Amino acid sequence: MDEVIIVVNPGSTSTKLALFRREEKIAEGEVRHDAEELAAYDNVADQFEMRMHTIDRWLKDQDIEQKQVVAVVGRGAPLKPLEGGAYNISEEMLLDVKDMRYSNHASNLGAIIADYLGRRYKVPSMIVDPITIDNFTDLARVSGFPGIERKCRSHALNIKAVCRRVAVEAGHRLREVNFIAAHLGGGISIAAIERGRIIDVNDGLLGMGPFSPNRAGALPIGALVKLAYSGTYSEADLTRRLSAESGLQGYLGESDLRQVEKMIEAGDKKAVLYYRAMIYQVAKEICACAGVLKGDFYAVVITGGMAKSERLVTTLKEYISFLGRVVVIPGEFEMEALAAGAVRVIDGTEIPKDY
Amino acid sequence: MDEVIIVINPGSTSTKMALFQGTEKVAEAAVSHPADELDQFENVADQFELRMRNIDEWLDQHLLENVKVTAVAGRGARLCPLDSGAYGINDRMLQDLHAMKYSNHAGNLGAIIADFLGRRFGVPAIIYDPITVDGFNACARISGVPEIERVCRSHALNIREICRRQAEAVGAGFAEVNFVAAHLGGGISVAAVEKGRIVDVNDALLGMGPFSTERAGALPIGPLVDLAYSGGYTRKELINKLSRESGLKAYLGESDLRRIEAMIDAGDEKAALYFHAMVYQVAKEIGACVVALKGNLQAIVITGGMARSERLVNTLREYISFLGPVSVVPGEFEMEALAAGARRVLAGQEIIKEY
Repeated sequence: MDEVIIVVNPGSTSTKLALFRREEKIAEGEVRHDAEELAAYDNVADQFEMRMHTIDRWLKDQDIEQKQVVAVVGRGAPLKPLEGGAYNISEEMLLDVKDMRYSNHASNLGAIIADYLGRRYKVPSMIVDPITIDNFTDLARVSGFPGIERKCRSHALNIKAVCRRVAVEAGHRLREVNFIAAHLGGGISIAAIERGRIIDVNDGLLGMGPFSPNRAGALPIGALVKLAYSGTYSEADLTRRLSAESGLQGYLGESDLRQVEKMIEAGDKKAVLYYRAMIYQVAKEICACAGVLKGDFYAVVITGGMAKSERLVTTLKEYISFLGRVVVIPGEFEMEALAAGAVRVIDGTEIPKDY
Repeated sequence: MDEVIIVINPGSTSTKMALFQGTEKVAEAAVSHPADELDQFENVADQFELRMRNIDEWLDQHLLENVKVTAVAGRGARLCPLDSGAYGINDRMLQDLHAMKYSNHAGNLGAIIADFLGRRFGVPAIIYDPITVDGFNACARISGVPEIERVCRSHALNIREICRRQAEAVGAGFAEVNFVAAHLGGGISVAAVEKGRIVDVNDALLGMGPFSTERAGALPIGPLVDLAYSGGYTRKELINKLSRESGLKAYLGESDLRRIEAMIDAGDEKAALYFHAMVYQVAKEIGACVVALKGNLQAIVITGGMARSERLVNTLREYISFLGPVSVVPGEFEMEALAAGARRVLAGQEIIKEY
C-alpha cells in the first residue's frame, strides 16, 4: 500500500492539496470554493465544514482509501513569534486561530484541517514554518520609535525551502551558510538568512522594504502622516489602499506582472518606469540585507512567481550582480516545503516542537 | 591688498561667520544672538536687522582696513528642487524666503544676509548647494504610493564638498567617480553620489532611512498609520515626535552621542543595543545606496559630527567594509564648502546659476 503524506494549503478562495510519497509529489490539486459562500463567514475558521466538503471530494478522487496516510501537514498561519521548523497542532494553537488572535487569514484553516485529517487517519499532523517564524536579532527589532517594533513576518516557508535547496545542491547544510532571499510574489519578502535563521526581513504587508504589484513598502514618514491626517481616508481605507491598491496597481491600474510587461512591450513609458522602480527598490533591499550579513553569504536567491519573468530577473541582476552569486528559483514551493518538513519528522531527523 | 570671501551660515540662535583668504580660513566665529529677542519674530527672515547688528560688530573687528571683499557666500535653505552648484540671489529667491514658501528655518537668512553684504561691498553674493539640491534618478522619486513622491533633501553642502575632496585626492574629477556618502550628524543623510550628482538619498527629516539621535527614519507603515489614527496625537504632535523626540533620545532619554558612549562604557546594555541598532540601520542604508550605483563606487565616505566616534566608525566598518574602501572624514565642512564654491565662481571654474 502506498504511503502518502497529505499536504493542505488554504488560500483565500481555494485550497491547494497534494499527496506526497516521501518528497515525491504524486498528486496535486487546487479545489475552488464558492467565493460568495466563503464571504458569508466573518471568521475564516468557520469555513471549515464547507471547505472540507470539497476537500473530501478531492481526496476520494485520489483513491485515498486505497493508500496509507502517514502524516498530514498544513500551512502555518500568522501565529505568535516562533522558531522555525515543524509544530504539533495543540489545543492552544487551534484556539488562537479560531479566535483570530493574530489574523483572520485563510491559512488559519491549515492547522484546523490538518488536525482534523490527522485524527481521521490516526496519524501525526503538523504545521511547518509558519509566517511568523521569528529569528530577529534584537537589533532588527528596533524601528527608531519606541512605540513601534519591527516584526519578523515573511514567506518563511518558501524562503527556507529554496535556500535549503541551494545549500544542499552546493554540498552544504542550510545551517552552515548564509543567504539573502528575495521572495517576489504578490507580496515581497527580502530576508537575511544566517545559518538557516531569518535574522532580518522587510515585512511585506504594511511593513517596510520595496513596493510590490499591489502593496506599498516603506514610505517617507512625514508624507504618510500627512496623508493619514488629510481627512481623505478613514483608517480602514488608508490601510486597504496601502495593502492592496498601491504599488504597480496604484500607479498603472494593473497588478498582473504579465499584463504590465505587455504594456511595456506596447511602448508604455509609464509602465517601464514603475516596473523598473519596483525592481530598483527590491535591489536596494537586497543590498541592505547584504549589510546585515556583513557581506558574508553564499548566494542571493531570487524566488516567487515574479522570478519567472526574464525581464525582471535581468533588470534586477543589473543592479545586484556585483554582490556575487545570484541563483534564480522561480515559483513557490510551499507544498514541497511542507512535505519535506513532514518527511524530516517521520524520519526522526527533526522533532516537532510544541506550540 | 588681501582678498577675502565672507561666509555666512545662520543657525537657530547664532550665525556662523568666517573669512577666507584663498583656501585659508583667517577668522571664524559663531556670533550669538539673544534668544529672547529672536523669539519675538514669527518669520525668521524678520530677524535680519537684529542679526545684522551682531554680525556687523564682528565684521568691524575682523574685516581689516587693508582687505578687499571679493564675494559673499551664504548657506542655502530649503528651496525648490535645484541642480547642484552656485546660485545668484535674485528677487524670486528672496521672495520665497520671506514668504517662508519652503520652510521657516534660520537657514533662510543665509541668502538674505549674503545678498545684503554683497550689495554693500559691490561683489557677487551666492548660495551654494542648498538642502534641496536634487539629482534624483527617475526611479528614486517613486515611493510606491501615487500620492507620495520621494524628495531629494540632504546635507548636500557637506556631502558634495567631502566627495569632491575625495575625488581630487585620487586625482579624479568630481564628475568622473561615484561615492556613497553617509553624513552622520543630528540628522543622517546617506546618499548615492554618481559623478557629482546625488541620485538617491534617504531624506533625513521625516523621510526614510536610519533613525538618528533624535529623529525617526523609516518605520513600518501599518503601525505608523495606526498611531496616526489612534487619537493619541494631533498631526503637529506626531510630526514633532517623529522629528525631535524619536531615535536615541526616545529610547535612552539622551541624544548626545558622547554621553551615550559614556553610558555604554558604564555597562548600560540598553544604551549599547540602541547605539548599535542606529549603526545597523546606517549600514543597511549604505548597502541600499551602493545598489543605486550598481556597485560601481570609488569609496564609502563617512562624515559628520558622529564620525568622530571611533566606536561608531568601527562598528559601522564591520558591516560595510565588504562593499569597498571606507574613508572617514569626521566633522562638517560647510564653511569651507561655501568658500570653495565662491572661489570656483571667482576663478571662472563654475558659473552662477539663476534661481
